[in-house]
Amino acid sequence: MSDFGPRPQGVPPLRIAVFVSMAAAVFLWYASYLLYLQLIKGSEYSVRAVSISRQVEKLPAQRGEIYDRNYSIPFVLNADSFALTVVPAEIPADLRDTVFAKLAALIDLPLDEIHRKIPPSHYRLFQSIEILSSVEQDVINRLAERIDEFPGVSWYSRPKRNYLETGSFSHLIGYVGEISKDDLKIFYNRGYQTGDIIGKSGLERQYDEILRGKDGRQFRVVDVKGRRVEPTSRDVEPPVMGRNISLTIDRNAQLLAEKALGERNGSIVVLKPATGEILAMVSYPNFNSNAIIARGGNNEYARLLEDPGNPLINRAIQSSYPPASTFKTIMTTGIIEEKAMALDARILCTGEIEVGGRVSRCWIRKPGHGRLDLAGALAQSCDVYFWEVAMDSFGVENIVDYSRQFGFGSATGIDLPGETEGFVPTPQWKERRFHERWFDGDTMNLAIGQGFLLVSPLQVADMMAMVVNEGVIYRPHLLKDVRDPATGTILSRTVPEVLHSSRVSPETWKLVKEYLRGVITEGTARYPLSNKVVSIAGKTGTAEVGLEDRWHSWFVGFGPADAEDPDDVIVVVSMIEASNPWEWWAPYATNIVFQGYFAGQTFEEAAGELGLLNKSTGVVGRME
Amino acid sequence: MSSIKVFARSLDWIVVASVAVLMAIGVMFIYSSGMTSDGQLVSTEYAKQIVWALSGLGLMLAAALIDPKRLPEYVSILYVGILVVLVYTRIFGRVVNGARSWLGFGDLGIQPSEFMKIATILFLSRYLEESAHERHSFRRFAISLGIVAIPMLLILSQPDFGTALVFLPVYLGMAFMADVSPRYLWFLILTASIVGVLTVMPLWQTLIAADTSVALRMFYEAPYVYYVLVAAVLGFGLSVLGYRLFKKRYYYWMAYVALVVIIGLGASMLGRKVLKEYQVMRLVVFLDPSVDPLGSGWNILQSITAIGSGGFSGKGFLQGTQSHYRYLPQQSTDFIFSIISEELGFIGGIVVFSLFMLVSVRLILASRTVNSPFQRGVLAGMFSMVLFHFMVNAGMAMGIMPITGIPLLFLSYGGSSLWAACIGLGLSLGISARRYES
Repeated sequence: MSDFGPRPQGVPPLRIAVFVSMAAAVFLWYASYLLYLQLIKGSEYSVRAVSISRQVEKLPAQRGEIYDRNYSIPFVLNADSFALTVVPAEIPADLRDTVFAKLAALIDLPLDEIHRKIPPSHYRLFQSIEILSSVEQDVINRLAERIDEFPGVSWYSRPKRNYLETGSFSHLIGYVGEISKDDLKIFYNRGYQTGDIIGKSGLERQYDEILRGKDGRQFRVVDVKGRRVEPTSRDVEPPVMGRNISLTIDRNAQLLAEKALGERNGSIVVLKPATGEILAMVSYPNFNSNAIIARGGNNEYARLLEDPGNPLINRAIQSSYPPASTFKTIMTTGIIEEKAMALDARILCTGEIEVGGRVSRCWIRKPGHGRLDLAGALAQSCDVYFWEVAMDSFGVENIVDYSRQFGFGSATGIDLPGETEGFVPTPQWKERRFHERWFDGDTMNLAIGQGFLLVSPLQVADMMAMVVNEGVIYRPHLLKDVRDPATGTILSRTVPEVLHSSRVSPETWKLVKEYLRGVITEGTARYPLSNKVVSIAGKTGTAEVGLEDRWHSWFVGFGPADAEDPDDVIVVVSMIEASNPWEWWAPYATNIVFQGYFAGQTFEEAAGELGLLNKSTGVVGRME
Repeated sequence: MSSIKVFARSLDWIVVASVAVLMAIGVMFIYSSGMTSDGQLVSTEYAKQIVWALSGLGLMLAAALIDPKRLPEYVSILYVGILVVLVYTRIFGRVVNGARSWLGFGDLGIQPSEFMKIATILFLSRYLEESAHERHSFRRFAISLGIVAIPMLLILSQPDFGTALVFLPVYLGMAFMADVSPRYLWFLILTASIVGVLTVMPLWQTLIAADTSVALRMFYEAPYVYYVLVAAVLGFGLSVLGYRLFKKRYYYWMAYVALVVIIGLGASMLGRKVLKEYQVMRLVVFLDPSVDPLGSGWNILQSITAIGSGGFSGKGFLQGTQSHYRYLPQQSTDFIFSIISEELGFIGGIVVFSLFMLVSVRLILASRTVNSPFQRGVLAGMFSMVLFHFMVNAGMAMGIMPITGIPLLFLSYGGSSLWAACIGLGLSLGISARRYES
């Protein structure tokens, strides 16, 4: 063929020949290979086809265990349990109803449930269907004795999660469950399969990939109908147990906080500011993880979902509230740093203030606090002082800026799923949202931590950590280290990670700490926070919730206020959704935690020593 | 009236009959695959397939009625239109078997990628005709490759590796027919081979090769592969320089080889990054299925056992054991050839082979007397598509081709691939029927 000259009509025959010979080559190659497979090797394959095949059984891996901060007290272990499966096609058709009925009686399951799991369309299926995932050893024993009455029924070991600590621990640890279809879509490429157990909430979910381990496999040789040919144990890939984890939780502190909170809706967090480790985190009402994973756990779960107290919510991180007067900690820091007010300058509080024709009242009402400087205003929690400074010299931009510096309005990054970011309002936001100007009243509300400002209790604990660390917040976390399940050696540990750092000067921090100590020694919290074991500094807060005589009660503090070693200091925040004066309890709860933690006492001992045991009805009513 | 009669007389009824027989075999064995070991029918796929097959035959005859001379007017809009649908599918489509490749309307769904193949064949053919005056130019090669590469990459990203792969032989067949310079086509073949081999090489070396070759490791293991790459780039640069200065022919070919190595190595590095291990596994496991007897190798082992046990005349319709005891996976789609061979034996297999040969060879033979380059291109494209589908699917069932999951045309269960193939074949039949018209 030539590249020149007129284009040939049709195609050069050579080209067609190439196409045809390619087709012919494929045909010859395939035909001869088919001949080889079916005629020369055919008999070999016929034998193989009827004789043997290999089936695989899953050997579930044990999930990693969960321990306290010293890796000595277990919070979560595994218990022996079995999953019951049925291969429908192995049940002879005439025996099917009898087998189903006997099985229902044996495992105490409604017959309808079995019919639902094995609908008639599955009767010919050679795959095993899981009927029940948690069957006790003694049921299996009874089944094994009469196995000839149960064709097609078998079981395999499937360790069950055993939550040794529930109550306030359940919010942290969470629970496990069978992977849902939605989760499977997301996690498919990470090696999850239908029927796998996966962490559904809390740390079980957060650290699922550490805890889950790797399922093993056992192969068995069966004939073409699925009958076992030779019992063999050589083809076993053993399961690999998941890794254990040790939490930052101090069991005593957790129990202490749980009891100090008692049956009041709210939460308490105990944080070690030097590292961000969470020593205790409790939320009430709570739930029991064991009840959710037990048989009929779906009903329990549905009940919890409908409970008006929202027991599934971890109030320490998943609820946000106005921080109320605890916010004055941030205001004080800002006012000192920005020199918005001379430290010795006094403002007169007459109990009320008139702005734009509207009278706002300080919490103490008339005749007011009198003349107060900044230290006094913080100690007495005087609203009027902060209103005037906020409007006259500090300004809303500064308030927003300092709130953000303290981490408000952004996630704390705690290793638990589903935390709230809270909310810091700005004039721009209000105009966008409500098409309304930012009024002086809004600035006043913000200055005393009311109005649109929302924070989670953990964020308030972080706020105090910032003061203690003089300008740094470490990411709060619950995972202390990951351990080898066999030897207990540490495989990796969480290192403190700076979450926020502030440019506020060290002198300012010294003053803020001093002023916060003043709140306890001569301010609003003098009586409830009196304590001989440890010197506490901190701030109370009482948030209006719109209903007459109903306030959320806050206290956030740190101690020892005079610590030499920053490692000794803890921050405690209590937040109680109060509905009556009896529940103005946050300062008392905090005091009990401090007392118990530093004196090494139980709740009963600590509360007894503070004179608070069985006296909860007698405590003084509302105090700012 | 008479024109219809003339048309009916000139239509290639042998091809039509072959396709009809293939479809009938397909329906029979989809029926068989839905049967369990004790004779219960658990799937109604065969009934749906009957609908697909009959409507497919209708579509084929309808497509044959279209005048191929008027076809070029519509192909751009067809190509762009289906490409848009494909983009939409890529983003909003339904995920089936891990690939976002389906557009669903209620219970029904279509796979736009199947129709894209036909649209691409038509559009590419038109471009090759229009650019015939510069047949050996690089520009022609690049643009025509681009026309194929766009839908191919889009389908690859779904990710549907098998369907995307079909575009390559279709392009090669059509470009060869349209006289695109062979040196560029060889360039494409060589580069693609290097990419293919090097992408699966690491896994092949660790799993299958009896003794691993140290020398080969320099083609995929860091940092050696970078040295090779740098050497190739240097070689390329020097060769280009040499060609510029001395105008010697061999410098040109040295640069050619160096570029093949550079692109091959680069693309295979990319391929190894993009593909997950189990995906590569599916590509190599046919070399030795026993390395993964419960994963990807399972399908192949079961399929070979099914075919081998069929013997000369098979176990008889509905008598297969491998299939009815459900050891054979995806019997109605990817592995339909296995169940045919198990139940009809060597005779059945050879009949299926022969029918495919008859269809594809008659298509390409018809192109001898077709005058229009556009129409010849369509025939070459359809020939390549039918042959490649057959080769990869039947080869996979026999364990001599990688698992890519592309269907056996006219036989496998599924509407989209059947319809698309019928339309493409119908257009080809229309071309061959009118080839003697002036």
